[in-house]
Amino acid sequence: MNYPIWQLDVLGGGLPIVLIAVFHVYIAHFAVGSGLFLVLAERKAQRENSPAMLAFVRSHARFFLVLTMVAGSISGVGIWFVMSLLNPAATSILIHTFVFAWASEWVCFLVEIVSIFLYAYTFGRMAPHRHQLLGWIYCGAAWMSLFLINGVIGFMLTPGGWLHNGDFWSAFFNPSFWPSLFFRTFFALIIAGLFGLATATWIKDSALRLSMVRFCARWLLIPFLLFMASAFWYRAALPPELQEIIFTRMASMRPFIDGFLLSSPILVLGGLLLAIRMPAGFSKTLAILLLLVGQVAMGCFEFIREGGRRPYIIRDYLFSTSVFKKEGERLQTEGILTTAKWVRHRKIDQANALEAGEDLYNLLCLSCHAVGGPMRDIKQLAAPYTPSGLEAMISGIDTFHPSMPPFTGTAEERKALAWYIAHGLNGRNDPEPVRLIEKVVEIPAFAPETDRYVLLAWSTLGMRYVAEVKGVLSLFPPGNGSRAQLIQRGEIPALVNQGVTLRYRVENGFVGAGGQSAPSGTMTAEEDVFTAEGIPLLPRSKQGFDPYPVITVEARDANDTLLAATKVVAPVTTEMGCNNCHGGAAQPGDHTGLNPETAMNILEAHDRLSGTTLLATARSGKTVRCQSCHADFMVRAEGDKDRLNLSAAIHGFHAHYLRNRGGGACTFCHPASPSGATRNLRDIHAALGFDCVNCHGSIEQQALGLLLQEQQAGKMRASHLLAPLQAVGTTTIVPRKPWIQQPDCLHCHVGYQPPNSDTITNTWTGGEQELYRNRTDESGRLYCAACHSSPHALYPAANPHGEQLDVLQPLQYQRNRLPIGANRACAVCHTVAMEDEMHHPNSLRAFRNE
Amino acid sequence: MDPAALIPTPDALPVAWGWFQFFLFLTFFAHIVLMNAMFGTAFIALVSHLRGGASTACTEAISETLPFTIAFAVNFGVAPLLFVQVLYGHLMYTSSILSAVFWLSIVGLLMVAYALAYAYKDRYAQLAKGRLPVIGSITSLLLVIAFFFTNNLTLMQAPPRWSRTVGQVDGLLLNLGDPMLLPRYCHFMVSAVAVGGLAIALFFRWKQRKGEHAAGPWVATGCRWFGYATILNFAVGLWFLAALPPGVLTTSNTTGLLLLTTLSGGIALALPAVFFSLTARVLPALFCILGALALMLLARSLLRTALLAPWFSVSQLPVSPSYSPLYVFLCFLVAGLALIVWMGRFTRRSCADNEVRR
Repeated sequence: MNYPIWQLDVLGGGLPIVLIAVFHVYIAHFAVGSGLFLVLAERKAQRENSPAMLAFVRSHARFFLVLTMVAGSISGVGIWFVMSLLNPAATSILIHTFVFAWASEWVCFLVEIVSIFLYAYTFGRMAPHRHQLLGWIYCGAAWMSLFLINGVIGFMLTPGGWLHNGDFWSAFFNPSFWPSLFFRTFFALIIAGLFGLATATWIKDSALRLSMVRFCARWLLIPFLLFMASAFWYRAALPPELQEIIFTRMASMRPFIDGFLLSSPILVLGGLLLAIRMPAGFSKTLAILLLLVGQVAMGCFEFIREGGRRPYIIRDYLFSTSVFKKEGERLQTEGILTTAKWVRHRKIDQANALEAGEDLYNLLCLSCHAVGGPMRDIKQLAAPYTPSGLEAMISGIDTFHPSMPPFTGTAEERKALAWYIAHGLNGRNDPEPVRLIEKVVEIPAFAPETDRYVLLAWSTLGMRYVAEVKGVLSLFPPGNGSRAQLIQRGEIPALVNQGVTLRYRVENGFVGAGGQSAPSGTMTAEEDVFTAEGIPLLPRSKQGFDPYPVITVEARDANDTLLAATKVVAPVTTEMGCNNCHGGAAQPGDHTGLNPETAMNILEAHDRLSGTTLLATARSGKTVRCQSCHADFMVRAEGDKDRLNLSAAIHGFHAHYLRNRGGGACTFCHPASPSGATRNLRDIHAALGFDCVNCHGSIEQQALGLLLQEQQAGKMRASHLLAPLQAVGTTTIVPRKPWIQQPDCLHCHVGYQPPNSDTITNTWTGGEQELYRNRTDESGRLYCAACHSSPHALYPAANPHGEQLDVLQPLQYQRNRLPIGANRACAVCHTVAMEDEMHHPNSLRAFRNE
Repeated sequence: MDPAALIPTPDALPVAWGWFQFFLFLTFFAHIVLMNAMFGTAFIALVSHLRGGASTACTEAISETLPFTIAFAVNFGVAPLLFVQVLYGHLMYTSSILSAVFWLSIVGLLMVAYALAYAYKDRYAQLAKGRLPVIGSITSLLLVIAFFFTNNLTLMQAPPRWSRTVGQVDGLLLNLGDPMLLPRYCHFMVSAVAVGGLAIALFFRWKQRKGEHAAGPWVATGCRWFGYATILNFAVGLWFLAALPPGVLTTSNTTGLLLLTTLSGGIALALPAVFFSLTARVLPALFCILGALALMLLARSLLRTALLAPWFSVSQLPVSPSYSPLYVFLCFLVAGLALIVWMGRFTRRSCADNEVRR
């Protein structure tokens, strides 16, 4: 934040330090381990009275000297150079905290240089035990320098008590200091053996070669058990939550953990193998291979140590973005662009949004994410996201991704950052507002003087969602439901359900989900109402995307005489917002939110975050049905009793990414966007300016209600998802079951009177029977929805696809758009005017909202 | 853009700034002397090869010692790098990042130069005509490294030059617009040639006193290199002086006064050094030039203070006292130096004993 940022792009994400550090660390451990190696090898040569062996030790010492001096020491300085380039803030903290530890280490380096020069150049020029003393001094100084740097490195991962007391000694002797020291010491001995093998396998004399190779192999074998033991000790010394993060939650750590666990026994096996007499060429190759395996093992370990520390560079104190943990909240209010020093713009506007986004990227992302390079390339990672999708993802990314910090900037900055990445780098845009093509329907005829029947029909749901990719993923299969009531007109009308057959027919041009054209069928007669369930509709007609297929319902008697006919829409849509974040952007004119690519992305994410193997299932050709594990009332699925129901799982998870957006959160996924292709909210309430939140509450409240219900049912996972939501602090939320506990008209329209407010929260129907769509009037027989239409499409509804579409029956029977019988139009069914408010209180009053 | 707005906030010191200034000066002095010997001897060897000499006792001696000089020059570069980060880190990291590509390339360049120095030493005989390109490469690499160092450390002292790159920091900024850059660079490099010559003189004087009479003429050669290079450096120094911004050399404040004093002292000591060298009195020349170097490095530090005065002074750094680590370091330092001295004596004694036993 304080410093300029080196525009690395392809080399971003820390690549320079990876390259320099992993190289240096290998040689540095070699330098430490060889201190002991050289002395013991020399002693062996003395003991066996072998001038040839001594000559080998001498030449190995020269090789050692040149390698460690040229490559080791300069790359060590290189680490200092590069760490101050990539994270000067953290470097400054380390330097100012540990200056005297580093100064002491420098003294050790000086002693090392002098001693190794003296040792290497006085072979055979002094009494052996004196010569070895020089070697021992080198050994001690080298180990001491490891001791000192170990404190600094360990501090970054486990700062321990320093976080509270700021004390140097707490920082230096931090919780992972001792296990790390032992681990590195044993590792150093093994590496000394590896380099020893690299030179020993080149000895020409086979007897000497075998003797030295066996000697070097012992350096792999003897320390090995202690090395592994100290590795487990190292792990155990980490705070429990850190262990969980590194070894369980961070999927990206797995290959490195496996790599380390795999390469270590390979070194042992290699050592054992080399102990066998074998041809020089073979042992040379094996020695080089083992040397490379050793570098891999070292690299894996360093990746685990560095990667496991994410998102911090100094754990619990400073993020890798050089933002202090304690500053996070302040920056979310004040913004980072106003605080950072080296930015081009302090305020974001239309003209500078991309540049501001780029500055934000450099400040908050470049330290870990390359642009087009190998280190966690942001272009690849962000490819599935639209700008809005990415903005949502960033807003909640730290909840379930342990390697990510919370976004330390304002909402506006977050938007600019998402715009830069998704649009600036990846060329993505949010979906364009959809231009709707007007649909006109011929209104069926009705002769009020002569017609004997009134046929009322409605869709069970205001909108049927379809989210399914055959052979991959089924979130919500097709299956519209329609209901109808046939009324015999008269002063006392009668509901007819015997001796009549009701048939439905979807308009031409629509193809059913099974491929059949224009689905049709007979409605089932139940008590007072006719139903048709599971009509396999898709929003596709010859004209393209059409979420409002019109159904014609005809009532015929036993002689097949037409008694009455009417039309009603069977709303269905595939416009779910999954591909805002999960990739697979729909083709223009398609509007399908769940495409094959989207589905695969969802399954991959599910596997990664929940430890499942759904992607493999889908790849084998079997459709993954969410409801096979997650209970779902709407498709009558029991699911797995230990898992959350589908609604709780989906809302409970996604709520973390969609906070503080009001109705905008809902329209991210649900087809209610006023600029979308479906425009689900089309009733009188929408016309009055309501959105989802007025009745259903925000997604946060939704998630809390659903999760609380599941928590009370004893499901552990609910607590996991609840915790971050509850941490923000909300008013008491009433638990609810999905689908059957909903807000209801009568919660606001108490006693059928005009409402007191336009918002209701925390109030649900008791169960399925109390739902609006299952409720009847005071007679107990006439369904509310027969006169008022489906939820979200209540009369007078204004459908943007065609203004008649959701008022077909009012237009047919009353030549207006109002609920059936409104404004004293009782004659529609009663043939004469009525005086009593029989159907429900307030039904004779003038309609308020024409 | 106001430079002050771009300067990062420094972190607190663990002990009073005077300690760091003291250690910085001491270790930087050692580094400069060693760096001078390193570059100077490499340069002189190059010139010797260029003059048609495939090998002389001088180039042979340089090839033997160059890896050691580099080793110690680098090691004694680490310590001042540490202390300068403590006092000026917030400025130095900034200038390092602005010139990141050049700054980081030093690591690779130095590794190559160092490796080549070992090639020059270990394969001196086999290289034959190849010695020239090898030592030429080493010298060129060291020249480039020194240039990048000078750029960074001068950029560090020039916050007004930073604002040009707010936004797109590609790490390719050099301080070429600064009139002090070239004279400063040349002043250091010519000084290096001079000290290199003196190092050669000292080396062959030591050989001469061990009984090698052939070493005699090389003492004079080294002294001549030193003398003439230092004379040239007076001119370069005047160029540097002229390039100083107005108001720096002043008697109106302490810094200016001290700067004038140390500069004058440095020049004053350099004069007898030249005189002694041209009369082949190596040790007096050495003491004078070491004194001159010390005073010049003090002047350099005072110049830095003056240049940064509008924006920063080390005395304004906050202190969060934590003295025990300093005491531990001092123990390490004393013990380490004692051990090194003892090792030197021990080795000499042991080798001598071994000779006797033979």
